Amino acid sequence: MMFTGSFGKTIDILKRSMDVAVLRRNVIADNIANAETPNFKRSFINFEAQLKRALDSEKVKPPRQFITDRRHIPFYRPIDYRTVKPRRILDYLTTAKNNGNNVDLEEELMLSMQNQLLYQTMITVVTSEFGRVNMVLR
Amino acid sequence: MGLFTSINTAASGLTAQRTRLDVIADNLANVNTTRTAEGAPFRRSRVVFRPRVSQPYWRSPFLPAYLDNGIGKGVRVVKIEKDFDAKPRLVYDPTHPDAIMSGPEKGYVEFPNVNVVNEMVDMISASRAYEANVAIMNGSKNMFLKALEIGRV
Repeated sequence: MMFTGSFGKTIDILKRSMDVAVLRRNVIADNIANAETPNFKRSFINFEAQLKRALDSEKVKPPRQFITDRRHIPFYRPIDYRTVKPRRILDYLTTAKNNGNNVDLEEELMLSMQNQLLYQTMITVVTSEFGRVNMVLR
Repeated sequence: MGLFTSINTAASGLTAQRTRLDVIADNLANVNTTRTAEGAPFRRSRVVFRPRVSQPYWRSPFLPAYLDNGIGKGVRVVKIEKDFDAKPRLVYDPTHPDAIMSGPEKGYVEFPNVNVVNEMVDMISASRAYEANVAIMNGSKNMFLKALEIGRV
């Protein structure tokens, strides 16, 4: 188990995900502001899939290996989830309108709503985590 | 990346769509203006939008980080230009004071190149985009108000 800070992994992952939610919101706001700009291409954030990959890699049971020397290379090294960074991707291949723009206003609004609800859920979870700590303290 | 970046971005969208609506209103108000200060009939105006942070010119999934300009900061209105591409609409009315006096188009009046239907469609599109930006702004406000509850037990 690796602990980060005093509250463990849950809070750390939630903190990272909430930062990404704010970043994603900035990107969606930019897409919507440029919904009518000619030749503008939308961008999006890729994070959760990579986070899941990193978290899953911790559960894999590596084959038995005897490391007797410092210079031995381990067979399997899990990805540290703290190294996962959100990636911004420009969706430059599609075109939705005559002016070269590919922002779909409804889709962006839907994504923003989804992102907002996710953020609020994460805040509820963080609050309940702190509430549990508080309960122990009392 | 700050808390208010998304609100500022949405605000830039609001300003841009507002300008667009103003220009459309001006076009529609002058739909029958046959003479302006310059003498010619009124020409419709159009707004030109650009992203505030220009997107990378090279479009590739393998773009090096230094060619990327970072997250966009919204939209800006670069200029409002007169549309000289569409020709004025000619209406035959020899008694009109602005009718053409001579030449092959004698008796015709040049009306502005404003197409009312196009302008109305643009107006709906602009107001929908404005509403979308308002929705983003309100959503961001709710998100950050909710974030204030973290410390509260």
